[in-house]
Amino acid sequence: ELVQFLLVKDQKKIPIKRADMLKNVIREYRDACMEIISQAGRILQEVWRGRGLLGWWPPQGLTLLLPQTFGLQLVEIDPKLHSYILVSSLPCAKANHPCRAKEKEKMGLLIVILSFIFMKGNAVKDSTLWEFLRWLRVYPGAGHPPGDPLKPPPTPLSRYLKITPVPLMDPPQFSYQWGPRAAQETSKEEILNFVAKVQGKSPKFWTSQHNEATASQ
Amino acid sequence: ENHEEMLSSKSNRLTEALEEANKLFEKVCRAREAALDAQFLVLASNLGKEKANELHSEMTSFDSSAFAEDLLTLMGINRTEVEENDSEPGGFLPCDAWQKVGEEALKYFRRAPTFHYMLGSFKSDPPVAKQRIERQKKASRGEAKQIMPAQLKKMEESHEEATEKEVERILGILQTLFESDPDTPISFFDFVIDPNSFSRTVENMFHVSFLIRDGLAEIRLDDDKLPIIEPTKFRNVGEDNRGPGARKQVVMSLTQQEWK
Repeated sequence: ELVQFLLVKDQKKIPIKRADMLKNVIREYRDACMEIISQAGRILQEVWRGRGLLGWWPPQGLTLLLPQTFGLQLVEIDPKLHSYILVSSLPCAKANHPCRAKEKEKMGLLIVILSFIFMKGNAVKDSTLWEFLRWLRVYPGAGHPPGDPLKPPPTPLSRYLKITPVPLMDPPQFSYQWGPRAAQETSKEEILNFVAKVQGKSPKFWTSQHNEATASQ
Repeated sequence: ENHEEMLSSKSNRLTEALEEANKLFEKVCRAREAALDAQFLVLASNLGKEKANELHSEMTSFDSSAFAEDLLTLMGINRTEVEENDSEPGGFLPCDAWQKVGEEALKYFRRAPTFHYMLGSFKSDPPVAKQRIERQKKASRGEAKQIMPAQLKKMEESHEEATEKEVERILGILQTLFESDPDTPISFFDFVIDPNSFSRTVENMFHVSFLIRDGLAEIRLDDDKLPIIEPTKFRNVGEDNRGPGARKQVVMSLTQQEWK
């Protein structure tokens, strides 16, 4: 049941709080909470090992059909709030999931933003970011794709970013950095590779970023 | 405002701006103007600091305008000769511009695919809270119609009963087919595929999986390594009768493209 709950909750790409898991699924089994959660994590992972999901899971007799089999990892992304996300455990390039157009557009914008932040030294001011995005015809509040995913309140896209107000600024400004989900789902090295590919250069072209990316391995 | 322009190593804009501010300050006579000047100095010195930082980064610093240009190229921009103004290059972006970027982007992420809930059999009384979550998810999944079987609405009323009935019906069909010609193997794909409906096909596969689970039918590979299906000869469906081969689980995936 918990596995089903997690898979459904993950659709919105908002971290899943342990409190929600307790309230909606685990409930009276509170004491075994952590065990149940780690068991769920194991099931999500085992799918990958080819055991398959067409069939059943004892003892509840759940039957699910998934479009494709993949391995998933349950990762605790915030130890204070106890919230979790689902991340693919397949290596990046191999995972070839069906992905809808809108999702692709969001991922496109996301990788551009993450790249910009990293290449500019891991933190940028919102004004800087928007100036850059203007060059790509992305404007705040505009309805056209990919829209305005950066404004608070948090949308699925902004879960990938950490947005903090810059002190003593009037009008208020914000600083954009990578958020915990970004750190889990990709890496500086991957993003550098993306930038390199777009610009048709070797990742080593940007020496300091390259050093930083390979150092954190 | 033109932050990035000022930072570009080729730009002397910052110096020019400072010179201009100097000239203006000589004319200052009111406190408000002095305050503006002070504010300007703060901004200018911040910019100066950033510019200095950029010089420190070894070798090549990141050129965001070049990055933007290359991204536009990736997106398939149609460049025009006429430039609207200095800072924005002319050209039109195709409507799938961001999809193209996204397509490439996916290779760099370990993102869990968004799970589309197809069909499920629930325990007889699922907790109310969970139902609410799933109803909400189903409501927001308008686009997933191609995967959701058409009969889903009815299913929500009585999942288990409907599924059981369908499974029985399919078993009946399988048995009749088999008995009418026991020597000809029934191709699994011929059995489940509905040439007119992808979702019905998937539904059929789903129901057949119950038959397999309960040991009422079995799938084997024929000489061409294609799956064939037939009802099981033995009517004992107990767990103990499962031999070593019986614990196999198989996952079948079928895309709409493949189905076509």
